[in-house]
Amino acid sequence: MTHDPQNEVSPQTIEQVYRPVTRRTFLKGAAASMIGVAGLMAALKPLLELESGSITLEELLQKRYRELKPEELKRIMESLAAKAEQEYGVRPNLRDLKPLDGVEFGYALNLTRCIGCRKCAHACLQENNQSRDDDDDLEMSYIRVLELEKGAINLETSNMYFDPPTVPQPDKYYMPVQCQQCRHSPCTQVCPVRATWPEKDGVIVVDYNWCIGCRYCMAACPYDARRFNYKKPTLKPAQINPNQNYLSNRIRRQGVVEKCTFCLQRTRAGKYPACLEVCPTGARVFGNLLDPNSEINYILNHKRVYVLKEEVGTAPRFYYFFDK
Amino acid sequence: MTESRKRHPHASRRTLRVELIAGGLVILGLWCWGQGNNQPAASAAPPKNLPQVARSVAQQPPIGDPADTHLDTTPPRLTHGLDLVKSGWSYDCMECHRLFPARWHYGGDHRPLNEHRDIILDHGNNRFCLNCHHPTNRNAFVDYDGAEIAQADVVELCAKCHGTIYRDWQAGAHGRHNGFWKADLGDRTKLRCIQCHDPHSPKFKAMKPLPPLRYPPRAAHPPETAAHP
Repeated sequence: MTHDPQNEVSPQTIEQVYRPVTRRTFLKGAAASMIGVAGLMAALKPLLELESGSITLEELLQKRYRELKPEELKRIMESLAAKAEQEYGVRPNLRDLKPLDGVEFGYALNLTRCIGCRKCAHACLQENNQSRDDDDDLEMSYIRVLELEKGAINLETSNMYFDPPTVPQPDKYYMPVQCQQCRHSPCTQVCPVRATWPEKDGVIVVDYNWCIGCRYCMAACPYDARRFNYKKPTLKPAQINPNQNYLSNRIRRQGVVEKCTFCLQRTRAGKYPACLEVCPTGARVFGNLLDPNSEINYILNHKRVYVLKEEVGTAPRFYYFFDK
Repeated sequence: MTESRKRHPHASRRTLRVELIAGGLVILGLWCWGQGNNQPAASAAPPKNLPQVARSVAQQPPIGDPADTHLDTTPPRLTHGLDLVKSGWSYDCMECHRLFPARWHYGGDHRPLNEHRDIILDHGNNRFCLNCHHPTNRNAFVDYDGAEIAQADVVELCAKCHGTIYRDWQAGAHGRHNGFWKADLGDRTKLRCIQCHDPHSPKFKAMKPLPPLRYPPRAAHPPETAAHP
């Protein structure tokens, strides 16, 4: 019999072979099983919520928006409206407007006209039912108005907390930033559950019933356009806009991401977005990119537009320009 | 009976006086109205694609969709003139200016004595009222050739100097738009120049910004709220 080093059994003590339970291994095992049980409990938490009645079985087993049949969606919207009425005291007119044919939305903003009055950011709150602690709580507004030094477009030194007695300040200009509805949107590509996607008219939407709240999309967005509901939205009945849409401004759940949808509850009904409606200087231009006679196409054809962070390759549908 | 007979002549005399005064007022009113209607007609219908204006600018309804009451769509211009209209003033300038003809130049010490003293002309190098207002018909504006531009077509007046802005405005790229972007679903309110700009001082006044983002209070209120030990 030849000597085979590979089959050679190294001499071990009985303690080494059997690994008796020491204090260290016991604690390790206990910690691991605690984590496992906690994970299991977290995974089964929806069932507890189901029992307590805060969600329905239908909600728990609901499919994603794009797989829902019309009658299923109708039933879900009815239950959502009833729930909103019960929790917030206002019965919303919840609809599901589909993209219009031959329409792709585009937005342009005239930085020469913008005076930084923040009316757009506040109108966004009033239109889109964001959670807020008081009427002026801009935390969840989809629009951030940046104050920049004249002479350069330097976002790094911009200030979104500016509060001078009057605007515009002579040495400053102002740039409102909101979702740019990118053609190559990084946020939709990183979503692990595909709860966010671009619609046919170019608007990027979130299925609030499918979002798992991982916030990958927020990390991927180069424009800080997405907001996360850390807590259950707080809204007084007077703050609620009852004109609601399933994919845009219906009252969100806790733990989901939300974003600007160009007010699709308005724009898919033919109206202008809320931020444009209130702009006192008319700095905002909105329209259909596929209509050659639209205002937005006039801007693209006649003004020197630029897009924000062109180098990241997102190809936004939101354009900025300076004007005489 | 005697008492009534005694009182009657006195009463009739009083009513006669009242009737005379009332009749005089009515005749005066009719005359004024007739004079108002006899004012020179506005220039021939201009060939243009301007939005049709049924009422004068000051009497237009509020802009935007009435359903959007939660959105503040007030134009930025402070229009105290509108209150005069609401209180019943007819906006007929010739009511006074038929009697008070124009002076060409109100510069230096030659300010108007009573009316229009609140108007400070700060509009480029315009120094004279009649640069824009028509010399003989004060209800109209003046064109290059001395023709009249009707009040409702004030855009034409501004276009005399601001041609590029006018072009942008016609295309929908300048100025306020409210209502519907899609024309077949609803109406669009397109504001004209003087609904946002005060024509005597067209630059927008600085306004107070709405409250800023509160959290994180990094740059909002740095020294006051941050309590350092």
